[in-house]
Amino acid sequence: MNVRRRSHRARSIGRLAHVHTSGNLEEQTPRTLLKNILLTAPESSVMMPESVVKPVPTPQVVQSSRRESSRGSLELQLPELEPPTTLALGLLAPGRRKQRQRLSVFQQGMDQGLPLSQEPRGNGSASSLTSSLNLTFATPLQPQSVQRPGLARRPPTRRAVDVGAFLQDLRDTSLALASPGDSLRTPVATLPTDTVLEDTQPFSQPLIGRSPSVYHSLPCLSHTEAEDAERAVSHRIQSSGPRLQNHNPGKPTQLLAGKAKKVDALAVSFPNNSSAVSGEDGVEPLQDGVGEEAEERMEESLSVSKVMATTGTQGSVRMEKSKGHREMTEAAEAKEPEGSSGASPELASSTTEFLQARQPQFLEPAPPPSTAVLSSEPLEPLSTRLPPRARTPGPRARTPGPRPRQDPHKTGLSHYVKLFSFYAKMPMEKAALEMVEKCLFYPNPFGSLDKYFQHLCDDLEVFAAHAGRKTVRPEDLELLMRRQGLVNDQVSLHVLVERHLPLEYRQLLIPCAFSGNSVFPAQ
Amino acid sequence: MAFSTTVSQRKHIKRKAPRGFLKHVFKRQKPHLRLETSGDLLVHLNCLLFVRRLAEESRMNAFESKCGVIKKEHVQAAAKVILKKSRG
Repeated sequence: MNVRRRSHRARSIGRLAHVHTSGNLEEQTPRTLLKNILLTAPESSVMMPESVVKPVPTPQVVQSSRRESSRGSLELQLPELEPPTTLALGLLAPGRRKQRQRLSVFQQGMDQGLPLSQEPRGNGSASSLTSSLNLTFATPLQPQSVQRPGLARRPPTRRAVDVGAFLQDLRDTSLALASPGDSLRTPVATLPTDTVLEDTQPFSQPLIGRSPSVYHSLPCLSHTEAEDAERAVSHRIQSSGPRLQNHNPGKPTQLLAGKAKKVDALAVSFPNNSSAVSGEDGVEPLQDGVGEEAEERMEESLSVSKVMATTGTQGSVRMEKSKGHREMTEAAEAKEPEGSSGASPELASSTTEFLQARQPQFLEPAPPPSTAVLSSEPLEPLSTRLPPRARTPGPRARTPGPRPRQDPHKTGLSHYVKLFSFYAKMPMEKAALEMVEKCLFYPNPFGSLDKYFQHLCDDLEVFAAHAGRKTVRPEDLELLMRRQGLVNDQVSLHVLVERHLPLEYRQLLIPCAFSGNSVFPAQ
Repeated sequence: MAFSTTVSQRKHIKRKAPRGFLKHVFKRQKPHLRLETSGDLLVHLNCLLFVRRLAEESRMNAFESKCGVIKKEHVQAAAKVILKKSRG
């Protein structure tokens, strides 16, 4: 034993020197720790350290070591062995200060001849040193691990996903969102918002249970089938060609069909009226079918109208189309009341409101066929007006003159109303939309009350007259915008054109130089 | 045609100008005047900007009244302001 002691001591002294010189440089690796243990281990057998990975908080370990150290050397080994491995794996390389402390402790321990391990945690010191030293060793441990949690070498503890709780959360959030029929999509819709709001610390435990984001935004709640159908229709409309001038009266009627559906979908979905949605779905396929058929007819007649002149014969073109569409509208009218009877009263009343602003003449048909009128309007308002007129004379005397005006007016209005709701980026009431129409252009058969457009035309006339012209030219427009404050020294007209108009119009408006020493449009 | 890049509202906003409609309205208002070819595009631009200002103003009104929905009163108040502004 003595020999062993001496050999131990010799080795330890030799190693002490080695350790002492390189202790500051060496990191606290398990290897060094074990080496130190071996150096300072008592005569009892050297146990293989258990490679137990325990995220045990260090003060506990220290306390346990303190408790046990008093018993004996054998027991001392256990806490000594356990903490170094765990702590070595768990904590990072301690600072220089700690190493020196440990060295000093070690030296003291060596001087005192007591078995001391050179663990940084100072567990070995608990055996011989005073409680103050223990405390000093204990306290720095915790703050270190607390101060730099990210550098801890603890393996990330993964919470087992409780699927039941997860689904329950989904259901709760979906209920909270009060989405009307899309139970399939809303649970997914809440996910991205939840993940965004979570703790974004780099080393916090990620919630692996949350599925990878299927990014449906919340507006997709109202992404009913109506939208798909309407988009399909609108795609076909778009595909029918970029023929601009000739088919404006033709296509905007179809556009209205799509837009009317859009407006309905918007107005209905935002109040989150489930009954309205169901009713709308019932109405939508009918409208969609009607719209498709209408479009086919439109295309036929559009090809016909292509041959004819643009503005003059548009009325006749419309008449032709009206004859073709009459049976369509009647069929639609037959279909519509069936479908709309299931519709919620809100939908019907809203559509009646919607129509009231546009054409007071259309109020004559009863509210259930109001939805029919909504769809038949784009088809051919002329034809629908003729039969009801023949049957029941309207409450107001309708002048035959404004009738051709209604159709393009309506579609033109709806265009700008759509833009209004688009720019607003907020849900709007139907009444608000009507208000917009009224302020823009209010086609009144008794006289034009259009405020905005009236002002516009008056101003343009004044400007043109001031320049001694009878044609309103773009310069007049620019002057108008300058007076309105849209164009100023910072913002020029060309900038506005670039911002707000599509490219094709920009090419027409802003002169651009082309090859061959030519400028288009010619100045 | 170039459509709106923002699909956040999942609406396909038509960027086409209803040129025939604009010309027709202008003719109805001022039959003795003529509107040039590019003029109606600029009229369309003016309408766009007007509608945009109207929408923003009504949105602000809605915000001020802490409403999530734009109501008729908001639009009315906004229309008063913007119409006055765009008198020229």
